[in-house]
Amino acid sequence: MTIPPKYITSFGLSLALVNLFNAALVVLKETDEGVLAGMKAATGHHWVTHGLVLLVLFVALGWLLAYLKPARRAGEPSGVAVAVLVSTVLGGMVIAGYFLVAGWLGAAS
Amino acid sequence: MPPEISLMLHPTFGMLAVLAAVWVFVEVLNAREGNLRRIRLASLAVAALLWLAYVSGGYWYVVHYAADKAVIKAGPWPFAHGFFMEAKEHLFFSLLLLGTYLPMAASDSRLPGDQGVRRLLLTVALLVVLLGLAMEGMGAVISLGVREGLMTR
Repeated sequence: MTIPPKYITSFGLSLALVNLFNAALVVLKETDEGVLAGMKAATGHHWVTHGLVLLVLFVALGWLLAYLKPARRAGEPSGVAVAVLVSTVLGGMVIAGYFLVAGWLGAAS
Repeated sequence: MPPEISLMLHPTFGMLAVLAAVWVFVEVLNAREGNLRRIRLASLAVAALLWLAYVSGGYWYVVHYAADKAVIKAGPWPFAHGFFMEAKEHLFFSLLLLGTYLPMAASDSRLPGDQGVRRLLLTVALLVVLLGLAMEGMGAVISLGVREGLMTR
């Protein structure tokens, strides 16, 4: 079975965006007790909610972006590869960096 | 399910996923019509194994980790939770999505000729390997954090 290239592009770009959103949501829920409490209340555990939000966003953005015309290299497989690589490294640095700093300050839950 | 079982299944599935991603990487380096089926099967294996690692590890984390967390935070290695567990539980989502995306990218009809698609597959497979190895290392530090905490009680 093969998947049309437009979905491979759109889900790749969705993956890149969700990588960045993941990092942003980590910082948001760790710094805003209201967000953390809301995520706990939604499913009983903030991490479960976090995962569900990311998965739903990944699928939704993947479908949505398939119907938009990509700009320049973003629509090419090499452009998607760069977007995935950069977002994974950047997202990872934000998450690791946040907990490194929070650990120093003794703020991590 | 006994907690020890899900705790052992999690890194086992994770390491098997890393091995499958290495397999994908090598097959894509030599991509041709003859090994397309293997590339797609190995990519599906990466996704399936990562989801199994997610479910087994997630079950243990949500149901059983609180007791270990208390031991770690009271012990001499509180950073095993404060940095390693916190980073691991959130970085894992990127790994899971990369693994989920891998079989999609491998199903591209432009394979094996298109260099861009091959580059995309190599990038995703390599990220799965590197993040997977990082997860294994972080898991080891977390386990040591629990052990250190129990030894000083």
